[in-house]
Amino acid sequence: IRAASSCTNGQTGCHFLSLANLFDRVIQHSARMHGISNDLHSEFELYFLPSKNQIGRVSRNCHTSTILTPNGKENAQRIAREELTEVILKLLVAWREPLWHFHQNMAQHREFNNFSSNKSLEMSEMVHELRRGVQKVVEKMQMLGVINSSLGNLGSPEALLASDRAEWRLMNDYDLLYCFRRDSNKIQNYLKILKCRIVPEHGC
Amino acid sequence: MKKVGEVVLLWLLILFIHNAAGEGYSPPGKPTNISCRSPEKETFTCWWKPGSDGGLPTTYALYYRKEGSQRVFECPDYKTAGKNSCFFSKNVTFVWVNYNITVVATNSRGRAFSDPVDIDVVYIVKPNPPEEVVVNVTEDKDWPFLQVSWKPPKMADTRSGWITLFYEVRLKLENKNKWEEVSAGQRKTLQIYSLRSGGTYEVQVRCKPDHGFWSEWSPSSRVKVPEYFPQERSMWILIVVFAAFILVIFIWMVYMNFHSVKRYLLPPVPGPKIKGIDKQFLKSGKSEDIFSSLVVSDFPPTTSNYEDFLVQYLEVYVPEERELIMDEGKDLQDDSFKTENSTCDNDSGRGSCDSHTLLTDKGGGDKEDGQQSDQEGSQAEADTKSQEEALEEELLACSHENLQSSNVSNEKEKVKSWPSLFSPLPQYSLSPVNRPNPPKTGQQHCLSDSLFTPNSMPSYFTQPGPSTRKGFRSNYWECSFDHKQSHPLHPQSAAHEHLQAQNDLNTAHVDYMGAPLDVHVLNVRPSEYVEVQRVSVEDGVLLHPVSPSQEDSRTLSHQTEDYSRVRVVNNDNGLLLLQRDAIEEEKSMCPYQEDVVSRASITPTLQNSATGINIALPILDEMAASGYIDTATMFGLPTH
Repeated sequence: IRAASSCTNGQTGCHFLSLANLFDRVIQHSARMHGISNDLHSEFELYFLPSKNQIGRVSRNCHTSTILTPNGKENAQRIAREELTEVILKLLVAWREPLWHFHQNMAQHREFNNFSSNKSLEMSEMVHELRRGVQKVVEKMQMLGVINSSLGNLGSPEALLASDRAEWRLMNDYDLLYCFRRDSNKIQNYLKILKCRIVPEHGC
Repeated sequence: MKKVGEVVLLWLLILFIHNAAGEGYSPPGKPTNISCRSPEKETFTCWWKPGSDGGLPTTYALYYRKEGSQRVFECPDYKTAGKNSCFFSKNVTFVWVNYNITVVATNSRGRAFSDPVDIDVVYIVKPNPPEEVVVNVTEDKDWPFLQVSWKPPKMADTRSGWITLFYEVRLKLENKNKWEEVSAGQRKTLQIYSLRSGGTYEVQVRCKPDHGFWSEWSPSSRVKVPEYFPQERSMWILIVVFAAFILVIFIWMVYMNFHSVKRYLLPPVPGPKIKGIDKQFLKSGKSEDIFSSLVVSDFPPTTSNYEDFLVQYLEVYVPEERELIMDEGKDLQDDSFKTENSTCDNDSGRGSCDSHTLLTDKGGGDKEDGQQSDQEGSQAEADTKSQEEALEEELLACSHENLQSSNVSNEKEKVKSWPSLFSPLPQYSLSPVNRPNPPKTGQQHCLSDSLFTPNSMPSYFTQPGPSTRKGFRSNYWECSFDHKQSHPLHPQSAAHEHLQAQNDLNTAHVDYMGAPLDVHVLNVRPSEYVEVQRVSVEDGVLLHPVSPSQEDSRTLSHQTEDYSRVRVVNNDNGLLLLQRDAIEEEKSMCPYQEDVVSRASITPTLQNSATGINIALPILDEMAASGYIDTATMFGLPTH
């Protein structure tokens, strides 16, 4: 996602408009990503899990559970923009590699049809693109002074991935899909909240 | 005893019932159908369906566990949401957290556990219906439309971006049952067009989060659309009138073209075809071919047929003997005919070479031909008309020629030649011209032509129709030729030459005509033969019709008509014989005819006892009412 800015540096109103557009684009992207993950999850349930409600599922742990994410509206509104943005980026970064491996597994299994295989590929690519888009938004926001520049560690994905490196390998595919579906929803929601907090006048 | 027995029975009955009732006590049934809903993604409520209570008061309890923890919690609120429900407040609601909920029914006998249910608040959001639905009827240039607006449910926080709602509107007419649904996206207003005039609409709105359930429909908002139908009615009237107008025009056009259409469908019966003429050939466009096609073989008469009309020729051959022979000298006539015709040319348009009163041997030949022609057929009838026309033409031509000719010498010559005709002595005036038996063909052309009377035509001319005209023409030619040639000549020599020219013409003409025509030409009207009964010493010639013995009966009928009368008798023995019919014409057309005397050449062989030419002027006057006689028959034909 590239920010198409047609404004000069002096006009803040125009910048905010472009920021709002950036947010819209990112939000749309995240929405699409969530939709794909939702479809894949439903297909997985049909093929592999006849019983939906299993007690064992409660014990499931997503590898991203270590990332503290707001679980409610008040929490989400209470958290700082920078922190919220950081959460988003963390999530996006955390899912890049697992999804890639998931796609590799899908291609090998042959149990999924081509449609699902294409979706998994698209999903993995989307995560990557969404992260770059969000980074652009962050840069924009930092440029505009919306958020301060204390988020220096966001620029280094390796630091984020270091703690999450091995945990996702313990998850099976179904749990992975389940977890990603939820996390993509979180990303989408967080982006919406962020947008309405920063540029509320544009469609909130 | 009976009372005790009854009481015992009654007690037993009661015990039995009591026991029965008492055995109904059982643990409660398992609660089922646990469903949870969250209106705003901040709280949620679960409902369950209780099973049988087992006859005992049963309590229900809801326990839940959150994912990643084994701790069991119980429902904090059983009342807010009503019976058999559990309300989770904001404090206990965590989004993106998996809840495992179980409902337990408990009574004195036991307890029952429901099946556990996993829920995530994010996916059970069902918002409240939109609120403040306002429907307005907006007038837009007499075409009203509905303006629907609403507000999101209060509970749902869309402003912070926590929830994103999508809306949907539906409307229907009050009487109908079918709803029309319109998606509005994330907008909060909607315009609806194409309304029924005067109808009452019900409008409802509902909403749905991006991942969740549709809300219930909002309460109906009624609105009445004002009447705008009168305009439609006037427009319909206009349309109907216009259509009727077009229909009338269409019918009228069809009616006007009815005949052409009818002609196209039912082509008219083609008319009769003219034999010998090809319609397609005519359409081809070549004028030459068309004209040639129009030329029927029999018509117009070919050159050869015209010679039939040479019957009119009177070649008065004046031999030295000056004998008038009325008989048919066929052979002689033929010879004389051929020779004497040379004086006339074939120039069409001109009349006979000389005056009408030429008497030539042609007459005999004509007679001869006439006999044969009579035998041939009845083509003469067809020729009658043409002959009549030709006669008239010839008369005209003769008149012209006579007018033109101002040569008195000609007249003199003719006059001179005349006496030779009638007098037995061939005292031919053209004494300087010593021609033994010169075929002196008088200018009989006009005369001969004049012999052709309308009445007598058919009988005398059995020539084919087309030939008639030509024959006349030849006569004309001879006439004109004579005149022309005679002008520059000396009177006497001119006369001589005139004679010769005439002879030449006649001869040539005869030759031109051809043999068959000669025969035909000669076949004039045998009945017209005027016998010279008596030739007076001086100038008298009595003519009487020859008996039609030698000719056909046809000719008889026309005998009388063909009598010529002597128009004038010149001093020099010129006698102008006029046919009865032609007299009148002559008076008007040929003023010079009196002066013109056809020269008749009388073959010397003309010998006949019956050749008595009685010329009596009065007689002739009577008989010559019809005009010219066929002098050829009268004089030229040898009546052997």
